[in-house]
Amino acid sequence: MVNALVPETAGRAPGPRAAEPGAGGLDRLRRRRRRQTVVAYLFLAPTLLFFAVFLVLPLGFALLLSLSRWSGFDLGDIDPVGPDNFAALFADGATFLTPVLTNTLLFALGTVALALAGSVLVATCIDKLRFQGLWRTLYFLPIVTTVVAVGNVWKYMYEPGGLVNGVLNALGLGSVAFLQDPDTALPAVVVVQAWASLGTAILVLTAGLKSIPGTYYEAAALDGAGPVTVFRRITLPLLRPSLLFVCVTQFLIGLQSFALIIVMTKGGPGNATDVAALEMYRQAFSYGDWGAASAAAFVLFAVVLAVTLAQLWVFRRTGEDA
Amino acid sequence: MTPARRSGGPSRRQIALALPSALLAAGCAAPHHGSGRPGDPIVLTLLSHYASEALKEALRGPVDEWNATHDRVKVRTEAVEFTDLLTTFMVRQAAGRGADILHPYCLWTGQLVRAGVLRPAPPELAQEIRRGYGAAAVDAASVDGTVYGYPTEAQTYALYYNKRLLRAAGLDGAPRTWRELEEAAYRTTRRDRYGNTLVQGFGLSAYDDSTTVGQTLALLHAAGGTFVSADGRSTALDSPAGRAVFGLERRLVAEGASDPGVNVYQAFASGRVAMTVNAGWWTGSLRTVMGRDYRDVGVAPVPVPRAGDAPATLATGFLLGVNAASRHPRAAWEFLRWLNTEKVRARGGSTATRMSALQVSVGSLTGRADDMRALSGRGGDPNLRPFLDALAYAVPEPNGPGAQQAKSLLRQNIEALWTGQRSVDEMLRSVRRQVDQEVSRSW
Repeated sequence: MVNALVPETAGRAPGPRAAEPGAGGLDRLRRRRRRQTVVAYLFLAPTLLFFAVFLVLPLGFALLLSLSRWSGFDLGDIDPVGPDNFAALFADGATFLTPVLTNTLLFALGTVALALAGSVLVATCIDKLRFQGLWRTLYFLPIVTTVVAVGNVWKYMYEPGGLVNGVLNALGLGSVAFLQDPDTALPAVVVVQAWASLGTAILVLTAGLKSIPGTYYEAAALDGAGPVTVFRRITLPLLRPSLLFVCVTQFLIGLQSFALIIVMTKGGPGNATDVAALEMYRQAFSYGDWGAASAAAFVLFAVVLAVTLAQLWVFRRTGEDA
Repeated sequence: MTPARRSGGPSRRQIALALPSALLAAGCAAPHHGSGRPGDPIVLTLLSHYASEALKEALRGPVDEWNATHDRVKVRTEAVEFTDLLTTFMVRQAAGRGADILHPYCLWTGQLVRAGVLRPAPPELAQEIRRGYGAAAVDAASVDGTVYGYPTEAQTYALYYNKRLLRAAGLDGAPRTWRELEEAAYRTTRRDRYGNTLVQGFGLSAYDDSTTVGQTLALLHAAGGTFVSADGRSTALDSPAGRAVFGLERRLVAEGASDPGVNVYQAFASGRVAMTVNAGWWTGSLRTVMGRDYRDVGVAPVPVPRAGDAPATLATGFLLGVNAASRHPRAAWEFLRWLNTEKVRARGGSTATRMSALQVSVGSLTGRADDMRALSGRGGDPNLRPFLDALAYAVPEPNGPGAQQAKSLLRQNIEALWTGQRSVDEMLRSVRRQVDQEVSRSW
């Protein structure tokens, strides 16, 4: 098949055109190339327009706001203030670095650790069970449940007279004010977020487990390897691409999520569960300080980028290319 | 391409370039509301938080009456949940589609004024508002002495108590001083052997900003203190009154008489809280939720530190104002004046403004003391009386540009105190540093 867009090559048979002056031929070639470029950009235009409207423009606007003061009401009132908003985030007495950013990292880290450990365990078990589709569906249910419902149900379970304390009391233990004690509030929410993330992680990991060739396990069985050795030496290393995907995506979700926290604790008690995304939401929509919110968004973006690059680097060093 | 083609109409390339631009321009063009044709009536939009059926219905009455009796100006109401109200104001204003008449929470007045959203009331209406409403209601609807709208519902804070629980603890009536309050709280508190709260003596609620901060500020004002300085630009909490209030709350939590982890709204209604401080609107909810048990509920003024101290409490509210971007401000003020100052015959033959009648019909209070007395005189809930009396001495909630943020920061610090994360001194230092720094950015 001939590609009409491919320029003429030097290998073509010489003809009358070859006798034409070189400058004219070059001009024609340039014109044709220019036309082809225009056509190519026209075909690309819808996609470029989409990216411009939904990515570049908002990003540029957020950058402008991060260097301005704006109350969110009138676009004519945007007042440039330079890096003041960034300075205010890290000023003495500001809560953004500690505890907000610290809580964000702990929340994401805790969620990833729990979700990863839980999903590896559950996915491995499911892989050895009958009715795997049923089990996967069951574990996927929290994903299709609204965060508000999940948060409220767990909130009631954590309450002093709730199910969790009921179990503790039945075991002869005293009640724990899970969401009211600043020491336990963040871990309590992390558990719920990890539980709610299990479904996706299990889905990815079971797919990863299915892609491991059975011959490895057969060879290991012939060599007399035990289940722990098989898991450590075969399953885990070959599951690394799926683990990397789960790790990166869960971390990104953890760093940016705040819906569950708003439902369960509203960032309290005090600011024990306050996270960056919640703080950004409050600054913009409650306090009308869009400059501070945008500056916080860029700081969070930098953190997310750094953490993601670090994760990719670690996995690449251990021999896995994402 | 031939010269002949070039000279005729637009080329295919030009059309290809022009079409997306035209489509984009057409898509981005905002629709123009209202015909604008001479002779057509002006349609004003009123955006409020009256999203529940009862409130929607209550507002529909006077609006329908206006629309039926006025040909030149019509009013259309729009409502969103209170939690979405400020966001809706922002988004619609930024998009150039703000409502003509806004119904904001008074806490946001400074923020809205600073952003140029609210239009000052015309001088003659401002005079009328100052004359017709209680001082707390007028102050809540004003910024730096300028009135920005008609106060609608007015809320004051008072002490709710469960008569049955107090009687069971051998107490005759509501406490009047802090010493009596503490004693009553300790005597009525009950816990099971696992530490679960059965009855809270005094309910301190961490439910939301308004509840947590509202009850603390009511006690603070009763002790003669204030949250912010007179100009609203710095905190005034680090005072003997502030120390006394936070000391009292810390003691109540430490002694187990208060359990901020329990939802006071549910616990009080189910008879598991002996006393708590809350706003007047709650009486209506309690009456519905508690049914016959509502007869156990009593309301008294917020206790003062010492017998003989002057009473004081907190007042909050909403206002109806006109959008600075409205193209029909005169018509909007005309409607608001009709709604808020013209007296009509209301329930029981008494006369009151349409807005006052609306507020009382939904179990709320209005900032007009004369209307309140007329409307709640006969057969009204006696528990509303302390809230009504408090209109005379209540202190309005600060409403400067950074008021919402200051309130949230105060709430976080109060919770940190209740949970033992900070001592009273640390908490006061932290509030001063955070609020002063953040609020100063808003001015």
